[in-house]
Amino acid sequence: MKQHPLCTDTEQVTNVLDLAIPARVKQEWAELQTRRHFLGRAGKVLGWAAAASLLGDRSLRGDNYSAAGAQGGESLKFPNFAPKAKRAIYLFMSGGPSQVDLWDYKPNLAAQFDKDMPDSVRGSQQLTGMTTGQARFPVAPSHWAFKRYGQSGTWVSNLLPNTGRMVDDLTIIKSTNTEAINHEPAIMLMNTGNMNAGKPCLGSWLAYGLGSMNDNLPTFMVLQTKLNTAENNQPVSSRLWSSGFLSSEYAGVGLRSAGDPVLYLTDPNGVDREVRRKMLDAVNEINRQTYEELGDPETNSRIAQYEMAYRMQSSVPELADLSKEPQSTWDLYGPDAKEPGTFAYNCLMARRLAERGVRFTQVYKRGWDMHDNVTKILPIICQETDRGCYALITDLKQRGMLDDTLVIWAGEFGRTVYSQGGLTPDNYGRDHHPRCYTTWMAGGGVRPGITYGETDDYSYNVVKDPVTVRDFNATILHCLGIDHNKLAYKFQGLDQKLTGPVPASVVSGLLA
Amino acid sequence: MLPSNQSTRIAWGASLGLSLLLLSLPWLVRLDGHPHADWQQFLGRFHPLAVHLPIGLLVLVPLLEMAGSHRPALREAAGFVLVLAIAGCLIALSLGFLLAYGSGNAGAGVTRHLWGGVVLTIVVLICLLARPQWNAQGGRYAYPALLACMLIALVWTADQGGSLTHGSNYLTQYMPAGMKRVLALGSVQPSASFYAKHIHPILDANCASCHGEGQAKGGLRMDSYELLMKGGQDGPVIVAGSAARSVLFQRITLPPGHKQFMPAEGKPPLQPEEIAWIKAWIDQGASPTLAKLAGVTIREELPEVPIEPVGDYSALMPEIQKMEQGQGAKLKQVSAKPSDGLILFTVDAASTFDDAQLAQFQKFAPYIVEAELGRTAVTDASFDTLKQFIHLRALHLEETRITGAGLPKLASLSHLSYLNLSGTQVTAASTASLSAIKSLRHVYLYNTPAQPAPATTGTPQPKEKNAQ
Repeated sequence: MKQHPLCTDTEQVTNVLDLAIPARVKQEWAELQTRRHFLGRAGKVLGWAAAASLLGDRSLRGDNYSAAGAQGGESLKFPNFAPKAKRAIYLFMSGGPSQVDLWDYKPNLAAQFDKDMPDSVRGSQQLTGMTTGQARFPVAPSHWAFKRYGQSGTWVSNLLPNTGRMVDDLTIIKSTNTEAINHEPAIMLMNTGNMNAGKPCLGSWLAYGLGSMNDNLPTFMVLQTKLNTAENNQPVSSRLWSSGFLSSEYAGVGLRSAGDPVLYLTDPNGVDREVRRKMLDAVNEINRQTYEELGDPETNSRIAQYEMAYRMQSSVPELADLSKEPQSTWDLYGPDAKEPGTFAYNCLMARRLAERGVRFTQVYKRGWDMHDNVTKILPIICQETDRGCYALITDLKQRGMLDDTLVIWAGEFGRTVYSQGGLTPDNYGRDHHPRCYTTWMAGGGVRPGITYGETDDYSYNVVKDPVTVRDFNATILHCLGIDHNKLAYKFQGLDQKLTGPVPASVVSGLLA
Repeated sequence: MLPSNQSTRIAWGASLGLSLLLLSLPWLVRLDGHPHADWQQFLGRFHPLAVHLPIGLLVLVPLLEMAGSHRPALREAAGFVLVLAIAGCLIALSLGFLLAYGSGNAGAGVTRHLWGGVVLTIVVLICLLARPQWNAQGGRYAYPALLACMLIALVWTADQGGSLTHGSNYLTQYMPAGMKRVLALGSVQPSASFYAKHIHPILDANCASCHGEGQAKGGLRMDSYELLMKGGQDGPVIVAGSAARSVLFQRITLPPGHKQFMPAEGKPPLQPEEIAWIKAWIDQGASPTLAKLAGVTIREELPEVPIEPVGDYSALMPEIQKMEQGQGAKLKQVSAKPSDGLILFTVDAASTFDDAQLAQFQKFAPYIVEAELGRTAVTDASFDTLKQFIHLRALHLEETRITGAGLPKLASLSHLSYLNLSGTQVTAASTASLSAIKSLRHVYLYNTPAQPAPATTGTPQPKEKNAQ
């Protein structure tokens, strides 16, 4: 090992690995050496680093791989306590669903039609560039009537008749609020706890903390819903299911919404399963040598991913084969579910993934960004999603899976009560609204049939029991048995967490 | 302590007269249970406001007397405070009487509270008379004993008054269960009828403070089924079979601002689901014994089965870890706490996992708290192994070939709270034995002969069977 330039002792070269320090510190040091290797330093410690990683390793597979989880050193840290939910399904409503038109019933607003929203309600809030120049902020009451549903007597818009039928199973949060007012920062904040890209998302944190429950499918899967051009779509990108600084094994694996669910999964003509296996063995051997030489944990991630892809060659076709689903499934999810890539299809797929031991499934539905023409677009998207949500919850419940599955329905923010652009008796637009929006959860760990939090008369500010994004995420982690303060990873000199450095708290009012 | 001079004789005489007047007041002006003049009620409603001043003063008197042994100035103040307290007592008593008389309150609780107030005022009067002698080191114990009596009377009267405003279980409602047991409160075994389990608690919490043992406004008491059905001075409030014709239901469903809306006096309205239950209960005959109502399902808040530590399996850890690496059935810890037990996952080997393989897990049997055997090849023979999983809390057998013939063998699993039999061939008859498992909270029978799959898009409800 090369001596430090400031060292005056020419005889004795101390080996860090001989020092009386904990093995954990040695390993951390060895890993840092790995990085220095790339900066041109060779070291005999690298072999040790590789060996250490391999010794603590459970296998070169995707779950609980300890090179990536090396920071802990202990065999199992999570869940911190016995969880209520083993898995979660996150229905992400990208674009910002209108809480005013769907959930947050304000009957008194009808009398306020086209009246100016009082300045005191908005206060000093900075608006988006889309409405900040508006001369006035006329109140646009919801175009749709609301109805009470269930024993909880929850008010739900007529746009969501099926969702209404299951309100007694939902935990509705009317006081969710975020700090971001534009899509990209808001959607990053919701998914990763930070407005800037580069941090791991909820699904990656869960995969990192809890590991996989099965060998043949990834721990974290992402289903995107096919584009509906009648709606106003904002892009969603793989940044949202990125593992950030965690090992790339924990990134979400997407299923395509059309064609083969996973590209290049079928063997090319003339290549059978055995040949494929031999090829993978050879590639893995090469990768293993690279790892021994360089000790970069990402090499192991690559090996694990190849192995996972090999197993997915048989598990994915079985997953995507819906021919064995009985008629009752189609009666429940509706005819849309037969068409790959629709929201209903993805809901059905989420149930199938849950059955097959996938820890976390995130379904993305775009199109909720309605700056104008709300009365035309909102019914389309509600029609598209309402039945799928109902079918998923009902299906999980009847199969006894809702007890240990947490389902989350949320967007990145809500929409303004005032109209963006022209307000007519028949139509209006709504701008982004971060100060309050409605989300819901259902299933393992949360209390069914309640509505949490209250907003003011204009559905503008939270007046009772606010739930910040970090509280929201802390609560999700709690349902899965994780103390959000303990799910941390050292990076850039910080103990990085999903809930960030600002104190977050589990919302006990939501828990069962 | 006998009157010695002229002025004390006058004081004693006046006090005696006042006491007699107070004692005879309830006979002079009878509380007849009918509302009287509005001005009486107007003034009377200041009673709850005025009553707190003398309470504070009366608590202060013994404190001042005690502190006075070190700081004589405080003892001088005690006499003044006592005089103030008497004035406060008399004002509060008058207002209270006006309130009871004006509003037509004549329940047993009101009477008790009234007598409490009268007795308390008289005790305070005697305290005032006894004090000068005690101050002059005459009777050593009489005055402190009187003060003690006064405090007891004060606490009792205040408690009676509090029960009138807030209901008699106001203080004990959220008492920790352990404390309740020690105090032997609420040990009455609740009856299983819908009335006892759901209707009575609603009425008790929202109505009985005005329509109960304490007060019986409008002659109506709602603290027992018989009294509720008897109704008030204007007749019955419940017409069995018709919520719409029942005064009780009409009054709770008025707009909250309405003069006749109940609960009155700004108390919070009933919850929508509570109203729905009352409606269903009246519509279906207002029975005191009926256990279930059509169309009403209430999530049973059965206590969770406590998690019992499974014991030490650290000697088996190498084997458990080795299993986790292989691709097949594996055991995983529920949480970082080993005593939370292990979960058996079979999803990767489901198609080949059979009874023989399950039998190999026998040595882990006491440590397994959850077994995921859905879609495996296990049969009814598996119950011979499963019955040894003594800490089993959740058992997944969905879409397996079991028929239910072995289900009675699960009877020994005293922690089992979740059982999933969806998509199997179990029948209603074969699941009957499950009622013996008292810990069972959720049984899923979706798509079985015991509960066929729904044919249409209706509202398919899972069968949540409660074993109790």
